[in-house]
Amino acid sequence: MSLGSSMRPCGDFRTSYASDTTIFATPVTRYLVIALIIGLLFVPLIGNPYLLNLMIQIGYYGIAALGLNLVVGFTGQISLGHSAFFGFGAFASAWLNNSLGVPVFFAIPLAGCLTMLVGLLVGIPAGRIKGLYLAIATLASQFIFEDFFARADWFTGGSSGAMAEYLTVFGFSFDTDQTYFYIVLFYVVLMFTFTSNLIRSRDGRALVAVRDHYLSAEIMGINLTWYRIMSFGLSALYAGIGGALFGHYLGFVSTEGFTIILSIQFLAMIIIGGLGSIYGTLLGTIFMVLLPELMEWGVHLTSGVFPDIVQSLAYIKEMAIGLAIILFLIFEPEGLAHSWKRIKAYWKLYPFSY
Amino acid sequence: MREKWVKSIIVLSLLSIFSVTSVWAETVSVGHLADFTGPTGGVGAHYGPGVMDALNYVNQNGGINGKQIKFETVDYSYKADRAVATYKKWKSGLKPIVIQGWGTADTEALVKFIARDKVTYMSASYSGHLTDPTGKSSRTKNKAPYNFFYGPSYSDGCRGLVQWAMDDWKAKGNTGQPKFAHMGDNHPYPNAPKEACGAYAKELGFEILPAIVYSMKPADAKAQCLSLKDSAADYAYLGNTSGSNISLVKSCNTVGVTTQFLANIWGWDENGINAAQDAGDGVAWVVGGTPWNAGASANPVMKAISDVSAKSPDQYRGLHYVRGVCSTMFMVDAMKMADKKGELNGTGIKNALESMKEYVPEGLEGICLPSTWTHEDHRGTTLVSVYKSTYNGGDFKMEKQATVEVPRRPEWLGW
Repeated sequence: MSLGSSMRPCGDFRTSYASDTTIFATPVTRYLVIALIIGLLFVPLIGNPYLLNLMIQIGYYGIAALGLNLVVGFTGQISLGHSAFFGFGAFASAWLNNSLGVPVFFAIPLAGCLTMLVGLLVGIPAGRIKGLYLAIATLASQFIFEDFFARADWFTGGSSGAMAEYLTVFGFSFDTDQTYFYIVLFYVVLMFTFTSNLIRSRDGRALVAVRDHYLSAEIMGINLTWYRIMSFGLSALYAGIGGALFGHYLGFVSTEGFTIILSIQFLAMIIIGGLGSIYGTLLGTIFMVLLPELMEWGVHLTSGVFPDIVQSLAYIKEMAIGLAIILFLIFEPEGLAHSWKRIKAYWKLYPFSY
Repeated sequence: MREKWVKSIIVLSLLSIFSVTSVWAETVSVGHLADFTGPTGGVGAHYGPGVMDALNYVNQNGGINGKQIKFETVDYSYKADRAVATYKKWKSGLKPIVIQGWGTADTEALVKFIARDKVTYMSASYSGHLTDPTGKSSRTKNKAPYNFFYGPSYSDGCRGLVQWAMDDWKAKGNTGQPKFAHMGDNHPYPNAPKEACGAYAKELGFEILPAIVYSMKPADAKAQCLSLKDSAADYAYLGNTSGSNISLVKSCNTVGVTTQFLANIWGWDENGINAAQDAGDGVAWVVGGTPWNAGASANPVMKAISDVSAKSPDQYRGLHYVRGVCSTMFMVDAMKMADKKGELNGTGIKNALESMKEYVPEGLEGICLPSTWTHEDHRGTTLVSVYKSTYNGGDFKMEKQATVEVPRRPEWLGW
């Protein structure tokens, strides 16, 4: 991170490891984030259901995308099978609750742990292969899981899908968007704080070292195989928790939702948000969730002039996602996180922007 | 240039304000789930416009006793989870009291939600699982009190087809035990009648062969056709929609399969006949309404509905369009009945539908099948019209073979 990109005052240099690894660069940003979270607590009281629905989507997709960013952005591996983990988490949580009677409250983190085990398994090839070959290996796992979901009647309900009960604590059911919002918010804060701390730790630095130069990392004594597999396991943990939240929110988990398209969307979220950026992940997720809604809004606005356009809405939505990825790769390959940094730097240095 | 932009933005925003204010009159909300872009889009592109035209026609002709229908069409691409997400969105925005739905997977996924929220749901899925409103059948997983559909269930349709097939077998002077195979994708819709129909076919004296899986998305199916050929099946049920069946029938023609195909109600249509050409000759399938040229186009109400979106005065409408209209008009008539009783809500519409006896929507006599629903039995009809198609260089023929009356056995409820 360049010095000019944060709101750090002039002449304030980092003089200790503690200040170098702080999560928030200045007290102001820390207070702003805390104020934002407190502000979010009030959203269900005033926000309309549509807004809440979008924010809940951003929450569970954001958690899963953060997991993918750990593998792709921080560890420099590639994964094309992230939606399979997301789906596994959703089915695992529903299965734990329906078949074993585990309360949903515990089923969500447990589903995350189960998915982590699966992620460790899928990550084993990552210990040996790199680049394009790894991409194909993860692609294979994507298709294996899709097939597994459609056939494993005992686990997923087969092609008919599985019902997922609402989260209930002491008889209070989180069955409305207003109440479920808090559950998702809790997990978002938990997972994002955990990741911020993970990246500051020895293990987090090892992941980044593996990405930056695996040979140097190995010479420094970092166990490449271990950290590559661990990054897959961790990413699956996030995807599993995100998926479980998704399942209990919708109330129904279908085998059809977890295709390669969703994996690509997760990749799009982190590319657009910024590879290797924690808050960028959230920005990218917000962008990807709002993009189709924006398209829908635009289409309905113009439908008075072009009535036939409503019929093509589904195509327009899909195309917009593709277009957004291409445009970002060309014009802002470092993602929204980088744009945000530039905006901040511009105002900080104004009017001497150089 | 810039002024032009500003102007067009002002015009657009004015237009949107107009469109909002114009629906201020008393309205009643209806949701419409359609598939135009998913694997069943081939038939959805006919059924969906039928629903939309019928609703627009009703709005142009006085609405529901004066109340305009406010409806929203959502193309959910045949994804069950997208349908559930749309339903949740509707619950907070549109608040529909009745929904014109689509496929089996999403309808079965929504059963519990609509029962809880008391929203009547007319699906284009005819899954037998949706016919048990009270859950008294031991085969029922989820009771479906608010689910209705127009036509014979998939199971009854298939039972009708095997019953016809047995007669056909005997009429051709064959002896011995005919062989029957179920074919379809591993998906709730083709799977819905699998066991029920197999059991009845066995009862009728068929030998049941292992099921063959082929993709719902049109794809080369020669491998499946070769296994069908090896199995020497005499009759095969096709569980997928027509788009997928076209490629199957063509593949099977290439490898020389002589099996008599029996397609479900979505499994064969004008598109299939035209696309498969000679390869599709002789496919027998279930038809749930009068074909366009056999009388539907002469019906004034049907014609007026078609004219709502017709691009030319003599536009041809497919079998699925006619059924889309029938399903919607049953719903509209039920809404009118419920409104007269002063209970225009999900439960009121359910009760109105359940009061129908051999009922045909107003003005559509002879086009839509007479249907009867009761509080305990949502099998609207068990009469199965079996048709066969021939393609003679584009001037295709759809000939009615028989109307099979499938017995309404109590133990078949919900199966």
